[in-house]
Amino acid sequence: MTAVIEARNLSRWYGNVLGISEITLDIEPGITALLGPNGAGKSTFMKIMTGQLKANIGQVRIFGQPVWNNRHIFRRIGFCPESDAFYEELNGLEFLTGLLSLYGYDREECLTRANRALELVELRDVRERPIRSYSRGMRQRIKIAQTIAHDPEVLILDEPLSGLDPLGKRRIIRLIKEFRDAGKTVVVSSHVLPEVEALTSEIVLIHNGKILARGDIHFIRELLDSHPHMIRIKSPQYRELARLMAAEDYVLNITFEPEAQAVVFETHHRDRFFNRLNELVLDPGLDLEEITSPDDNLQAVFDYLVER
Amino acid sequence: MAEVREKGYHHWEGQLRESGLVFWPITRTGIKLAFQRKRFKFLFALSFIPAITFAVGIYISERLEDFKFMAQGAERTLQVNPGFFKTYLSLDFIFFMILLLMALGGAGLIADDFRHKAIQLYFARPLTRLDYLLGKAGVVVFFVGLLTLVPALVLFMLKLLFSGSFKFFLDYPWLPLSIVLYSAFLMVFFTCYILLASSLSKNRNYVIALIFAVYYLSEIARGIFYVIFRSPYSTLLSIPGNLQRVAAAAFQVKPAQAVPWYLSFLVLSVFCLLTFLFLRRKLRGVEVIR
Repeated sequence: MTAVIEARNLSRWYGNVLGISEITLDIEPGITALLGPNGAGKSTFMKIMTGQLKANIGQVRIFGQPVWNNRHIFRRIGFCPESDAFYEELNGLEFLTGLLSLYGYDREECLTRANRALELVELRDVRERPIRSYSRGMRQRIKIAQTIAHDPEVLILDEPLSGLDPLGKRRIIRLIKEFRDAGKTVVVSSHVLPEVEALTSEIVLIHNGKILARGDIHFIRELLDSHPHMIRIKSPQYRELARLMAAEDYVLNITFEPEAQAVVFETHHRDRFFNRLNELVLDPGLDLEEITSPDDNLQAVFDYLVER
Repeated sequence: MAEVREKGYHHWEGQLRESGLVFWPITRTGIKLAFQRKRFKFLFALSFIPAITFAVGIYISERLEDFKFMAQGAERTLQVNPGFFKTYLSLDFIFFMILLLMALGGAGLIADDFRHKAIQLYFARPLTRLDYLLGKAGVVVFFVGLLTLVPALVLFMLKLLFSGSFKFFLDYPWLPLSIVLYSAFLMVFFTCYILLASSLSKNRNYVIALIFAVYYLSEIARGIFYVIFRSPYSTLLSIPGNLQRVAAAAFQVKPAQAVPWYLSFLVLSVFCLLTFLFLRRKLRGVEVIR
């Protein structure tokens, strides 16, 4: 497949701070996720892709055209920033029509497109309410609406799922998948692996401004599995739970926290661990109050990859 | 087998506007938002009091016989000449109202975009930094023009209308051009002044304080320097003082101080140029490290 976005030897630094370093990447149609912890360089890369920052070295081309100082290419790109970027006094419809008018559409076309985008993100009913009254999920959706309203072929979404409740996340994930099915090229950034897993299997791992790995999510999963995980479970029957889990060969270590009525397991097979946990909840009927993963972040994987 | 994807674009057959007016939607939104602010409409209406007063003055000056009982001793004041227009266009009240209206409706022009991080929304669209600046500048130009250029030209027309002849125009054929040029100068200066202030903080209240503080502190600084050095050139420090001298030159009226007008013009022009360069640099990109 032909690459829609081509980045070649991209480097960008802010004074002495490195943003990204020597990133070379081809992105094809479909969903590609940029995965990395906060500060990894994802947003810098996205801002260079959307022509808001100039790379100190290298170039990004979209549809074969350079992005920097090429305002015409932005008709084909939709960008959803991570932060809220609104005029709070405007209502949803005014916000969208105002931004659409910057593309040169006439008023009627702006209204048609704005309404269509609001319909897609299920905000049509609240389109005349001021944005300041929107909930977190609605704000995220209006941001996505401004991204898609001009029908771009490339969508660049910076942390589109951050701060959303599970229902809101599911809604946005469905929407992004619809864009993929409509043949668009979607680039999504995230620092949360399960979010990315729900979106795509094509991921690019970024850390400290460099691409560490690129490929199928299963590759990352394998890395995760070869790297021990900590899972902390709070339960009134934590001793019983520990006894039952101790029989499993993938449980490497068990630590008790009697004051908190919790137990911390260390395992290198997270999926198998959770499958077994599900069984234990159903069969002996263990009562679980809280499940957390103290090290369930990408930093552990990145550290592991860097060490390799 | 590879997944077959549906292509769901909505092609538009209309004509995209590719003219130099790409900035107009930004200006239009800025004007609309200004009028949505509390008390803005009231203050906007209030700022036309001088224009109405001057219009009445022109009417009375043409009917002095009818208003003899009222206008005793005021003949000199009611004399309509270039100085009359200079007085209108450099009234402290007009400058104050420009500052007040722009503090309410213009302080957030760039500050709000920085606060809401909306700059990235603009620059992810087919818009250059210059388009963005022109769009924001358009808001200030609109209001300053409505308070200066439009009333001054209307006053000129009223003078011709009430006198019932073109004698005034024939006496001062250069006057309409002076009105246009000086008003344009005010528009450029106040645009740079307001946009610079608006770009210096994300907080609208700080910007409002800055707009008034710098303007009036410049006049205080002039006073202090004058007391110390006794030099008329200390007046170059004062924003209203410089505007007054350029106005005097534009309308061929004797200035209050014997300081060449072109020095005042130079001071204000250099300020505008530096502001433009600063703004271009400031809007270079969204420098966020993540």
